[in-house]
Amino acid sequence: MADRRCKRIFAMLSDYLNTDLPVKNCRELERHLEGCAPCIAYLESLKTTVEACRRYQVRKIPAPSKRVREALLKLRSADF
Amino acid sequence: MNAQIEKAIEILKSGNRQAAERALETLQGVVYGFGMKVCGSPEDAQDTAQETLIRLARQLREFPDARALSVWLYKVAKTQCLMSRRKSKFAPSQMLSLDDLMPKESGPLHTAAKSWQIAPEEIVLKQELRGLLEDAILALPKHYRLVLILRDMEQLDTREVAEVMGISEETTKTRLHRARVFVRNALGGYVRHRKAREAKTHG
Repeated sequence: MADRRCKRIFAMLSDYLNTDLPVKNCRELERHLEGCAPCIAYLESLKTTVEACRRYQVRKIPAPSKRVREALLKLRSADF
Repeated sequence: MNAQIEKAIEILKSGNRQAAERALETLQGVVYGFGMKVCGSPEDAQDTAQETLIRLARQLREFPDARALSVWLYKVAKTQCLMSRRKSKFAPSQMLSLDDLMPKESGPLHTAAKSWQIAPEEIVLKQELRGLLEDAILALPKHYRLVLILRDMEQLDTREVAEVMGISEETTKTRLHRARVFVRNALGGYVRHRKAREAKTHG
C-alpha cells in the first residue's frame, strides 16, 4: 500500500464510505480498487470499524439524578 | 440528528407527565452514553448528564426548534465532558498524521488488512473486542475522539458535527478519517494476536 496512488486513495476512503466523495474522485477510486487488493481489504476493514462504532451502545445507564428529575419533570406545557 | 432527542424534547414540551418520564430516561441514556464514550468514567459521565440536563430544563423555553436544541445539547455535553476530569482519560492533544497512520508495504498492518475477518457484531458483542474499541477511542486525542463519537456513534451528519465542534466541515472530514484509521489500526492488533493464538493452537 505504499504506492503513491494508494496513498492518494487512502486519504479518500472515509469520504467514499460517507458518500461525500465528488463523482470524479469516486470514479478514480473505484478504478483503482478494481486492481488493488490491499486497498479493497483496507476499505472493507474501515467499513467494519465504522459499522462497529455505529452499533456500539453503552451498557448500564444509571437513573437520572434527583436534581435532573426535579428540573425536567416540573415543566408544564404552559411554560412554553 | 438523533431522532430520539428531538422526540424526547417535544414530549417534555407537551407537559404530558407520564410520557415525560420516558423522555427523561431517553435523554439520560443519550447524554450519559455520550459522556461515557468521551470520558470513559461513569462518575464523569453522570456529572455530564446531570449538568447538561439541568441546563436543558432552563433552555427549553429559548429554543423553538428541537433540532437546534439537539445541537446545543451536544455542545453543552461536550464542554461538560472536557471540564469534568475526575477520572477521565485524555490523551495529549496532538495532530494525527495520515502518513504515519497509513499501512506500510509488507508491514504487519498490510498483512492484517488482507486477513481482516472481524464482523461488526463481533466487535460489539465480544467483551475483549468491546474493550479494545473503547480503549482505542479513549486513546484518540480529544478533538479526533469527539468527531468520531459524534459522527459514527451518535450519528450526527457532517454539518451538525462541525456545528457542535465549532470547526469547518472540511476539518471535520479530515479529523474523522484519521480517527477512523487510528481505531481501525488498533483493532488490527487484535486480528494479529488472534491469528498468532490460532497458529499456536493448531501448530
